[in-house]
Amino acid sequence: MSLPRIKTCAVRQTLQSPLRDFLLPALSQPTRRQFLSTTTKNNATVSSTPSPSTDPSRSQPKRKPLTQEQRDFLSSALRVNQAGELAATLIYTAQTPPLVNAHPHLRPLMAHMYAQEEGHFNTFNSLIAKHRVRPTALYPLWSVLATGLGWSTAVMGREAAMACTEAVETEIGDHYNNQIRTLLEMFEQWETEGYEVGKELQDLITTLRRIRDEELEHLDHAVDNDAKKAEPHWLLTGVIRLGCRGAIWVSERIEQTQITDL
Amino acid sequence: MAPSRATTRLATALLRQTTQPKLRRPSPSSTLPRTYHSYDHPPPPGVFSPAEKAILSAAYKHVPEHGFTQHALTLGARDAGYLDISTNLLPEGPFSLIRYHLVTKREALAPWAKAVFGEGEQGAAAAPLKVPEKVERLTWERLLSNAEVNHRWQEASPALAVMAQPSHIPASLQELALLADEIYFLSGDKSVDPSWYTKRGSLSVIYASSELFMTNDRSPGYGETRAFLQRRLDETSTVSGTLGSVAQWVGFTASAGLNVLRSKGIRI
Ligand SMILES: [Fe+2]
Ligand SMILES: [Fe+2]
Repeated sequence: MSLPRIKTCAVRQTLQSPLRDFLLPALSQPTRRQFLSTTTKNNATVSSTPSPSTDPSRSQPKRKPLTQEQRDFLSSALRVNQAGELAATLIYTAQTPPLVNAHPHLRPLMAHMYAQEEGHFNTFNSLIAKHRVRPTALYPLWSVLATGLGWSTAVMGREAAMACTEAVETEIGDHYNNQIRTLLEMFEQWETEGYEVGKELQDLITTLRRIRDEELEHLDHAVDNDAKKAEPHWLLTGVIRLGCRGAIWVSERIEQTQITDL
Repeated sequence: MAPSRATTRLATALLRQTTQPKLRRPSPSSTLPRTYHSYDHPPPPGVFSPAEKAILSAAYKHVPEHGFTQHALTLGARDAGYLDISTNLLPEGPFSLIRYHLVTKREALAPWAKAVFGEGEQGAAAAPLKVPEKVERLTWERLLSNAEVNHRWQEASPALAVMAQPSHIPASLQELALLADEIYFLSGDKSVDPSWYTKRGSLSVIYASSELFMTNDRSPGYGETRAFLQRRLDETSTVSGTLGSVAQWVGFTASAGLNVLRSKGIRI
């Protein structure tokens, strides 16, 4: 049995790009980026009851089965996102006490960002359970790294902690945008072939856009709170961004292959 | 269980492998894991093609008498109206019959769970059973579905005869992993932390050893097998609790350790 191969090159290409980026020097300037859309601070919501209930009665005939490549992409994407949001909650958990001790006025901001990260983490946890995706196998590793990163940047001071957020959110924003782009390519291909896109995938793209916008909101907060004044800013953000890419790379490749190759 | 016999078989198998030409690899599509379960796009094509399914379902009826053998396959092909030569459609030979057994019995669990637990797979409020109880019921149900071929299973068991064909081990393990995942999914377990791995890992081991135990069980209704199964599940609920907490300990210590130090008044 051979699996239908329809326009999977697009999926491949997008998955390759973090590897390419990973090898490029990341120590350059760009930290503020223009993204497709943004939400205001007010309508960023914390959703802890994410996956909308499935409706099996609404089975439409004109939908295409997902190819193996598409399912691999989706499961890898959900797994990487779970790992990333786990890390995000732990970074903020580790950062908050030292930071808030020194700068009590940051308490509401840290609590707000933590609550959003927790919402993201819950969202991907329930998507992983619902779609029967294998969760990240490197849970303990991400926990240790994220806690270490959060704590060490926080004791370095407010600017360094904010530079950490700035660097992480820049990478994460890019990462979510890549996933959104791949999904849009998938949808476009289906639509040109006359197939319909299932609601669950449309909901997924809505969720990814919402979370992407919230991550970029965190980036704005970080810059507003003098992330750029961290010394040496270029080294700190460069190293952290490289670390993020490395973690995403490991999640997408190592984790993808370990059981498939059994 | 007869470990000495198993060891002998393994030894002969290894010997044989060194003298045999390169073994046929299982078709890759059938060993791929079922990642990302979609609810509103149609499912991907099944493991077996319609022709394979026709031959295998007919051949499966001959298993109680003739075992998981080429002979049963040939009889099945004839019953299904194919020429004897059509068993060439099944390059894995008798192993495709074993796989047919594993796949169909696993797939039968979902409708069974729906009928018995009286709920959708997402777990409605109607069911008073807890996850570990459902795991036990489902595992037992799966073991019972071996009953009609049980006397043929020892010679076909993944743990024994399949070792004679090392190329089949990945497919057998994959099936075992899929079974454990299916049982936890149907039980409504939602955990996606490191316990996801310890649960499925220990259930795989428990299932495989219960299956071996069952091939030697002559008690009425396989009562001893069920007792064996329940003992193993009880044991691991404590052991895997420990294993799980070791894995979590590594992760949480970093975070929790900070908090402990903080609670001791250290300003970090
Ligand atoms: Fe997040
Ligand atoms: Fe974030």
